[in-house]
Amino acid sequence: MLEIKDLYAGFDGTEIIKGISLSVKKGEIHAVMGPNGSGKSTLAKILSGHPAYEAMSGEILFDGKNLLDMDAEERSLAGIFMGFQYPVEVPGVNNAEFLRMAHNARRIKAGEEEIDPLDFDDLLSEKMNTLGMEKKYKERNLNDGFSGGEKKKNEILQMAILEPQLSILDETDSGLDIDALRVVSEGVNKLRNENNALILITHYQRLLDYINPDFVHVLSGGKIVKSGDKSLALELESQGYDWVTTVN
Amino acid sequence: MSDTLVESTAESAFLDLHKKLLEQGTSSFSELQQLSLQRFEMLGFPHSKHEMYTYLNTKELVESAFTISCRSEKVSEDFVVSHIYPGCENHCLVFVDGILNYDLSRLKGVSANLTPIAEAVSVDKELKKHLTETADNENDVFAALSAAFCGEGLVFKLADKEKISEPVQVLFVSTGGNHAMYTPRLVWQLGKLSELKVIAKFVGVEGGYFVNGIQDWLLAEGAGVSFTQVQADNFDSWHFSKTRVQLKKNSRFHSSNASFGTQLTRHHYDVRLQEEGAELKLNGVSVLDGREQVHNFIRIHHEAPQCVSHQYFKNVINDHARSSFDGTVIVAEGAQLTSSDQLINNLMLSNEGHADNKPNLMIFADDVKCTHGATIGQIDEEQWFYLQTRGLSARTAKELLTRSFAKSIIETIEFPEVVKDLNGTLLKKLEIHNV
Repeated sequence: MLEIKDLYAGFDGTEIIKGISLSVKKGEIHAVMGPNGSGKSTLAKILSGHPAYEAMSGEILFDGKNLLDMDAEERSLAGIFMGFQYPVEVPGVNNAEFLRMAHNARRIKAGEEEIDPLDFDDLLSEKMNTLGMEKKYKERNLNDGFSGGEKKKNEILQMAILEPQLSILDETDSGLDIDALRVVSEGVNKLRNENNALILITHYQRLLDYINPDFVHVLSGGKIVKSGDKSLALELESQGYDWVTTVN
Repeated sequence: MSDTLVESTAESAFLDLHKKLLEQGTSSFSELQQLSLQRFEMLGFPHSKHEMYTYLNTKELVESAFTISCRSEKVSEDFVVSHIYPGCENHCLVFVDGILNYDLSRLKGVSANLTPIAEAVSVDKELKKHLTETADNENDVFAALSAAFCGEGLVFKLADKEKISEPVQVLFVSTGGNHAMYTPRLVWQLGKLSELKVIAKFVGVEGGYFVNGIQDWLLAEGAGVSFTQVQADNFDSWHFSKTRVQLKKNSRFHSSNASFGTQLTRHHYDVRLQEEGAELKLNGVSVLDGREQVHNFIRIHHEAPQCVSHQYFKNVINDHARSSFDGTVIVAEGAQLTSSDQLINNLMLSNEGHADNKPNLMIFADDVKCTHGATIGQIDEEQWFYLQTRGLSARTAKELLTRSFAKSIIETIEFPEVVKDLNGTLLKKLEIHNV
């Protein structure tokens, strides 16, 4: 589904990612871990198409297509979802209305008719029930005045509505208390299936207590310095990142 | 401030016109007109550095040779009906070319509230005194000009405790096409504990006119007003308005203004919170494109303790459009426990647009809470990117953000039909012109 080949990338001319290769297949969950400044968020930004970040060399293929040639809108419509570390607040844009617009953009791309507002309301209610979310999320403006936990829940709600093939969740666990972490993780688990894939970018192991990854990659100095299964995350938790960076 | 005494050709032309009008009658109201004319002569048209006109160029306006019409042109009923909001069909005052048209108006239940100013001042000495003082102290030359030429001004009076629950709409139609100046004038006189909701809308049939109106709001103790204005004149017209508000004890005046802009639109508010507990809310939004302009000039006088005023203005500026905000809150000595805030946000969508802001506070009391702020910015790049990561095109995302910026003011309007109208017309401008 996703092939990252020897990617060098950065911000404002500074190279932060220094040769990453990663292959993600349908049904897989990959956790990308690493200390501060290792390049985790830069990788997320590059995958989402943020205009301030640039790939210096290498390539990223999504379903065989060159992802780096696509802008953020095209990537979303192709089936990629980016769950932000700090979802922005957009006052004045109603959450439900925005979700309907995003859902319709995908339908139009697929050559389908726009969804009837009432049908969408039913769909939204259903997804919110699945995620155990309160009705207030419909009426409020997009992330406006939301707490950190509410913003992350709202990201997962968007993910549920857009049904992406590949989701990249950047530090979704940051700023969450234990209860919110559980709700968000349960939401993510419910959305899993054999046709989609997930990249979890996280600093701490605790998210992986709730979401079980197939692969764990450790990023350091802009490179993947170690890959393994879930046990690698537990090892990191007990020994710290120094263990990996020293070993390598 | 009144520093231009040289009479220009344009001023002479207006003075000649006025002489002709005065020959037609000498009512009490004509005394007020005479006073206003004297103020006009004294003030003179502003030069480019005049304090009240720093951000707008009135040269083309004052050099235009306007005619004054003593009667209104015909306007089709269909045109009028298309601008009456649902729910206001029974209470609508239709002014055509500045003069109330009784045939087109629907005054069910409110006709007794209406009196021509000339008649009202002949029986109400207090009102006469107030209007005389106002005319004598007028410092805005265009308001003086309007008052000097106002033919049939009206007083809309509510008795003590009188409440009109349905909104009253005032439709100001300018027929245009003849380079005329129209000078509608209304005095709203609210008795103690009375309540009124008013929607005023300005529209034009053809352009080329100058609508230069005045509204006075006199609120007695405990009176409440909700006032919404929609300025939707033709682009090639000029729109000047002066709104004077006088608030007594515990009265409240909530006002929202939505402006489409013209080649030169200027709103001048002069509000006096005269007794304790008075409350003012003044909101405004404009969506401007092409070479449209909207300028707000606001003076809020806190003259008594424990009064509250809120001002919140937003402008969307595209292409070569211009806006300005010159607002001062003056807290008088002794007006303790005043609470006042003022915020102006401008969203610039082009490099050629222009926005000037001059928020100002003058505080002569020591126990007050006053804030002011002004921003001029562009579309937030992170918000824009965020929406695109959800599959919205760059254009749709930008349009959504722009609409949301303006909507935060539009949604404060308490009349759903006006909100619906503005969503479909004012905000539609953003789509038409490919934001």
